[in-house]
Amino acid sequence: MVDDWSQALQHDVMRVYRAKRDEAHRHVSHKYTILGFISSGTYGRVYKAQSKDEDGKLHAIKKFKPDKDGDIATYTGISQSAIREIALNREICHENIVALKEVILEDKSIYMVFEYAEHDFLQVIHHYSQTLRSHIPHDLLKSLIFQLLNGLLYLHDSHILHRDLKPANILITSTGIVKIGDLGLARLTYQPLQPLFAGDKVVVTIWYRSPELLMGSKHYHKAVDCWAVGCVMAELASLRPIFKGEEAKLDSKKNVPFQKDQLLKVIEVLGKPDEREWPGMKHTPEYHNVKRLEDSPSRLDSWCKQRSLPPVAINFLSKLFIYDPDKRMNAREALLHSWFQEDPQPTYNVFKHQLNTPSQLPPQRRITLDEAPSMMPAQPTHAQHLPAQFTQPQHLQGQTHGSVTSFASLSVSHGGHTRKKTRLG
Amino acid sequence: MATDFWASSHNKRWIVDRATLKQARSEDLQYVESAEHIDFLNIYFANLIAMLGKRLPLRQRVIATATVFFRRFYVKNLYCETDPFMVIAACCYVAAKAEESPVHIKNVVSESRQMFSQEGYGIKNFPSDNSKLAEMEFYLVSDLECDLVVFHPYRTLLTLCGREAAHAVVSEAGEVGVGIDNGPRYWGTGEGRLELGEGPLQTAWHVVIPYSNLTERCAFELFHRFIINDTYRSELCLLYPPHMIAIAAIYLTLVLNDKTRDAIQAQSAAPAPPPRRSSRTNTGSAHRKPAPVPQQDFVGFMAGLRVSLPTVAMIAQEILSLYTLWERYSDTAPESGLGASAASGVSAGDDVVTPAFLTQLLLRMREARLADLAHPASGQPMATNKRLGRTQAVG
Repeated sequence: MVDDWSQALQHDVMRVYRAKRDEAHRHVSHKYTILGFISSGTYGRVYKAQSKDEDGKLHAIKKFKPDKDGDIATYTGISQSAIREIALNREICHENIVALKEVILEDKSIYMVFEYAEHDFLQVIHHYSQTLRSHIPHDLLKSLIFQLLNGLLYLHDSHILHRDLKPANILITSTGIVKIGDLGLARLTYQPLQPLFAGDKVVVTIWYRSPELLMGSKHYHKAVDCWAVGCVMAELASLRPIFKGEEAKLDSKKNVPFQKDQLLKVIEVLGKPDEREWPGMKHTPEYHNVKRLEDSPSRLDSWCKQRSLPPVAINFLSKLFIYDPDKRMNAREALLHSWFQEDPQPTYNVFKHQLNTPSQLPPQRRITLDEAPSMMPAQPTHAQHLPAQFTQPQHLQGQTHGSVTSFASLSVSHGGHTRKKTRLG
Repeated sequence: MATDFWASSHNKRWIVDRATLKQARSEDLQYVESAEHIDFLNIYFANLIAMLGKRLPLRQRVIATATVFFRRFYVKNLYCETDPFMVIAACCYVAAKAEESPVHIKNVVSESRQMFSQEGYGIKNFPSDNSKLAEMEFYLVSDLECDLVVFHPYRTLLTLCGREAAHAVVSEAGEVGVGIDNGPRYWGTGEGRLELGEGPLQTAWHVVIPYSNLTERCAFELFHRFIINDTYRSELCLLYPPHMIAIAAIYLTLVLNDKTRDAIQAQSAAPAPPPRRSSRTNTGSAHRKPAPVPQQDFVGFMAGLRVSLPTVAMIAQEILSLYTLWERYSDTAPESGLGASAASGVSAGDDVVTPAFLTQLLLRMREARLADLAHPASGQPMATNKRLGRTQAVG
């Protein structure tokens, strides 16, 4: 018998280790009840889940797409963005950042379990533009921006650039606390071994991308997030994106093109950047392209007045929209701005003044049944194509029961006993 | 917070005590003749990480991170029950990503295969399949509890040597916002455990080595950096915060530098490992009072650090005993010498220990472990064993 084992061990030294680990593993499906599907993106899918602990807390579980080799999920290495998001989330802790509860690695997929947030900025914007058809009250807008900046200051003080701030990524709990989410593009900038542009050619969703990025700057800093905060604030005030340009796509050689349309949209409101105000502009790769664009005076003032922002808020916004990234207002200066000292002062529960009129509150997050077969690992039908040691009758059993969501059934089918056998096969 | 050591996962979860380390190795110890062998394995594996790192190529900090990952993994696991070569490859692969300088998985696999199959290491069966390494990555990240940000003594070195610009700490803004802590203070006084002003430190440094003498200053820094690199051959990175290791290395540099400065200066053109033999003669000086330093200001410098000097002395002592051990380890020695004596079951004694011997040692540990799992002394099969048995029955 020992001979058999040592033979097996020569082929697979880590058998004993894996058996131990798999036995100690606590499955996602044992710890959480999946309530439904929230949203999906290139990274994978997000589910609403409830802890099976006594507290029964709500969570958002982000499941990263497993890599595929044909139809069969295989291990191909954890993506850089998953490593980032996991590594950064494990280090940070702040009231205005979505907290990571745990990470479960299971069935070749990564599950990140976050605290649940009922709303997000985009949903608030939709609620006011579609349902209420009115401006977002000034007190609410101010509290949202204050807490957003409060979280951003923490990130920046920790030398983390978010690099993807936009309304959909900024969440709000049912108790009215703003939570910055999605650190998938975030990066630690403390003593980097590689320059920022080496890893990611394109950062920040186009509408929220700062002029220095649009002009091809390779060395950028925290100011890119502050510009995005300006865009988010303007969007809250006007209920539509302020600079809604068309993104020019990467060409076949993956060269980053000149984002002319987006820059034109910015110039339409803010006027053409002035070299005297932004001396560094001369050194950006797209300088010659920008020089050719037509000039127009800044009309930010009238833009804001149309949206009934008071003068002090206009001053605040204009400082976030300073072209020169070195002169742009940073998160700390923004929090100290007189806009936040004036009444109405920002509140701990951003909805404080809306609580008396429940119709003003945005609705609960919609969840649906998961209709994503792409996220399922090996389907029962696939089992036939698998090598003999991977086929298990128990697998089919679990699958046929079905359950509320396909996500849940998938976890059940791989639960416990059968999975370990697969590994040991 | 990613830049504050005191709030980091490194400080909160991965500084362990000696009892924990002892416990972690207790089962491995049953399969070796001498406890020293485990220490040699520690040196061997760290060397392998450094060499694999050079081939990929990885920067020194990435190699250091990979080594810390490796040590953390083996706080929870046994040498005799795992494949350290696979773990080494996975540590390098994950560390490269964690330090934002990724390398392609197929490079890691092919370099590992090539290197480990070399004569002297003798691992011929490193899997060529990328998915094996990727699978190990999954288990590794899980065992690391997803804590992938690691602090290193190098950072402290840069601060102390004035290479790093003084941090712009905006103290008066500390009240802004709820629960905001000031980020850029690596030397955070937040918990009052360590209060280091950069100004006085640098002054002290300049007294020790005048600014004018840049060559000497560089040689000094180089020597210090070498000592820090060397500490990864031990388990010090699990026991002490990085700044304490850095300070111990400064202390040793000052102690050893007096006798070796000429040698280092000669070598600084072509950096080579520091002449370790001199360490033996100085072992006696590594106690509380840093007496043998020619510059009197150094005493004040160390005292002004407001860290536990006995702890610094203890770390220095451990670094010196690491060197003593390391002198008996050779990457280049012919295979015959100890390999033969090991095969006949003779303890390594004072002979030179080679990679080939250590690979053989590991394989024997693994086999013995396996036999024990099959026939446990208690007569009560272990859980893992039961499962293996069941699989055997099924298969």
